[in-house]
Amino acid sequence: MNTLREKLTTLLTNKYLQIFFLLTLLVGAGYMKAGTLQILSFALISILFTQSIYILTGMTGQISLGHAAFFGVGAYGTAILSKTLGLSLLFSIPIAGIAASLVAFILSYPAGRVKEVYLAMMTLGFGQIFLEVARELTALTGGVMGLSGVPSAGLGTLIVLGMKLSTVDYFQFLLLITACSVIFVRNFSQSRLGRSLFLVHYSELAAGSVGIVRRQTKQLAYALSGLFAGFAGAFYAHLVGYLGPDSFTISRSIEVLVIAIVGGLWSIGGQILSAIFFTFLPEQLQVFTQYQFIAYGLILTFTLILFRRGIGGLLFSASRFIRTSIRKVSDKNKISSDFLSIKANHTNILVKDITMKFGGLVAVNHVSLDIPARQITALVGPNGSGKSTLVNVIAGVFPPTAGRVLLNDSDVTSRSDAQMAKLGVIRTFQDPRLVPHFTVRENILLGAHAQMSYSWLEAGLGLPRAYKQELLALEQCDSIIELLDIAEVADQPVESLPYGYRRMTELGRALMARPRVILLDEPAAGLSDLEMQSLGVILKKLKSLGITILLIEHHMDFLADLVDEVVVLDSGSIIFRGTMLAMREDAAVIEAYLGTEGVEHA
Amino acid sequence: MDFFVSLVIAGACVGSVYALVAVGLNMTFWTTKTLNFGQGAVMMLSAMSTALLVQYGLSDVVSIVFGLLLVALTGVLVERIAIRPALKTAGSMGWVIATLGFGIVIQGVTARYFGSQAVAFPEVLFQVQDVVTIWGQSISLQYLAVLCISLVLIIVLECLTRFTVLGTAIQACAQDMELAVVQGLPVNLIISGSFVLSSLLAGVAGILVAQISGTVDPAFGFELVMFGFVAAVLGGMGNSGGALLGGIILGITSKLVGGYISTAAEHGIAFGLLILMLAIRPQGFFGRAEVNKA
Repeated sequence: MNTLREKLTTLLTNKYLQIFFLLTLLVGAGYMKAGTLQILSFALISILFTQSIYILTGMTGQISLGHAAFFGVGAYGTAILSKTLGLSLLFSIPIAGIAASLVAFILSYPAGRVKEVYLAMMTLGFGQIFLEVARELTALTGGVMGLSGVPSAGLGTLIVLGMKLSTVDYFQFLLLITACSVIFVRNFSQSRLGRSLFLVHYSELAAGSVGIVRRQTKQLAYALSGLFAGFAGAFYAHLVGYLGPDSFTISRSIEVLVIAIVGGLWSIGGQILSAIFFTFLPEQLQVFTQYQFIAYGLILTFTLILFRRGIGGLLFSASRFIRTSIRKVSDKNKISSDFLSIKANHTNILVKDITMKFGGLVAVNHVSLDIPARQITALVGPNGSGKSTLVNVIAGVFPPTAGRVLLNDSDVTSRSDAQMAKLGVIRTFQDPRLVPHFTVRENILLGAHAQMSYSWLEAGLGLPRAYKQELLALEQCDSIIELLDIAEVADQPVESLPYGYRRMTELGRALMARPRVILLDEPAAGLSDLEMQSLGVILKKLKSLGITILLIEHHMDFLADLVDEVVVLDSGSIIFRGTMLAMREDAAVIEAYLGTEGVEHA
Repeated sequence: MDFFVSLVIAGACVGSVYALVAVGLNMTFWTTKTLNFGQGAVMMLSAMSTALLVQYGLSDVVSIVFGLLLVALTGVLVERIAIRPALKTAGSMGWVIATLGFGIVIQGVTARYFGSQAVAFPEVLFQVQDVVTIWGQSISLQYLAVLCISLVLIIVLECLTRFTVLGTAIQACAQDMELAVVQGLPVNLIISGSFVLSSLLAGVAGILVAQISGTVDPAFGFELVMFGFVAAVLGGMGNSGGALLGGIILGITSKLVGGYISTAAEHGIAFGLLILMLAIRPQGFFGRAEVNKA
């Protein structure tokens, strides 16, 4: 089954075959029946619209039950501009798309503040507001009567640059736009920004830890999603020539969601097939129209539960998120992991009198700590002693209730986690937070987000700057994979790998973010003895490269010949600091771990 | 002035139904942190089946009882089919979409087999023209009855959750599901129960609204459940008192906007409130922000 899938995928992603297919459709359009052409045009619009769900829901994990609104903004936008103002569709369609994108961008502000149920409610409400506006703003939209006489190819009223567009011309134009959009979205998904959307989807904390600014990332997702929905709507308007509010109800939002879910939320290819299927089905199967609504309901109820990956998962091998053309080049070049070395002498962190309270709970109580440069410092202590909280405060996850954090003598208290990451303070998590369907390599590459700077447009168009930066990052990624000794699994999705590899992958992602200081939260937990040994070797190597390391750990044997200094935390306060040897003798430490009674009887 | 007072009274009455819907949503939010996005279809189902059964010649009471039994069963099914498996496999997106889909199925089946036309709802509670005059203000008895029934139901429920063993058990589940399991509470039963209760409340709300509006059609509950969301969010999800106030505030605001500005803005304002509230104070007027420790 898997090999069959691979063969099908290779066949369908073959560039020449795709071009051939495209040309056939372009030329063949002239010989098709008007009805077929019409349905095919609807299918293309459906594909465009689905791209918008792919970006927002598939990649970013943000549910939207009001997507018809963006579609509607695009449709009414171009209709009003071209009908009322007489603007050519060469201007009215882009402007309408941008307007929809802007609306989505604005919605991202309130939407970025809520999640899950609340987001579902909010987008549902947003869709209804749009509908009310479309119904009531009679002067612009024609109200419930609708807006007729929109320039359209079918009516022969669509004139571009002095030429009258026939339905065939319009279809060809739409086909080229759709093909470009699909390529654009595919390229985008294989870029630093596309990958960052996935990390925000799976773990916002992990995204922050490698310098991805969550708010910006979501705004980008909304704006791009709105853009494609707006385009789809605009093309729809010039196809049908009449717009009424009934075309933009919740039913349309649900329909596009059904198409995306059946196609597979993570699969562009699957969604294309699904869009074609759902456009043709009601036309070919009259019975289906009667049961359409029921069928949509059943699909929504069961697909995500029983058939999560949809058509895409069934027919195609999983999408990859690194461009193959770049992989081919990077595979040939080898660079050494010495690029990680820190040239500057000083990278130390000073924690001054930090207190962190959660409600009434004091997790960290007046802790002052010096994490010296180029050393390995271990933070140990019983469960609940405040170790992780301290790391969270240093990494910028929580602003402390009181106290300061200094990085190289400059005050970095209350900087966000993404800002701290950009300053070179990178952390890992107690439980690896990765994108499950990404490969090891793709996950590690997520760490390079902040060192690359190309924009979404460069990503989508595949411009040279994007190519160069990706190539450099990939070469670095390869050398980190080499350093961590996980080359044999580098191209497997992490969800299929044992725990130890996931830990290594997360460490790799942290390294990819070019740490000056690395904060490791229980890196050895769940590792086998062999894996622990190699982790020890890696950590020593990192130290020799000049990276400052703080690690939380319970495994005393693991720490014994690794760390320069150990700090013991108990109930939010530091009770010991010194060498491992001295710690084993320290009465306060023994008491913290074994309790007072244990000491008396000893 | 009279106009103002009549708007406020009508708003409060309608708002109390929104509150009823919101309290129903809170029920399942307590036990599973989920809501039925297809709750609108549940409201439609109870109102529609009552209306149809009365048309077939059954008595009002029997029809209503049957309608409510039907939605109680729906509650069990929603939890079994759309919530429980989705919670295990697909996360929040899973159950939101699954419950939405389930609602659409109910709506679609109703529309397919009973037509998508509006059906007249029988006058169960008084007649449209029945009014009482209080302080020189004539008030429809139907509206008053709706207000009273909603208030009584909400108060009874609140007492049940506060003072009975069942209520304590539900609260225990809300606090810490795992602990509730360990303590030997019949958690699955409690969850099912919460969905039955939630659906019953929605069913009653559906019948009450149908009584006021006079007709019911398959798309009937959709906006209604959205108003329930608004009421619940205004008061803070999971807060019964908040839901009551939220519902009444929403009812009065939208009636006033409808009366003085434009009836067209009546619904828009509700959804505007929803977005604004979620953006500014997701915990609602009366909820407390959760303290999170990652």
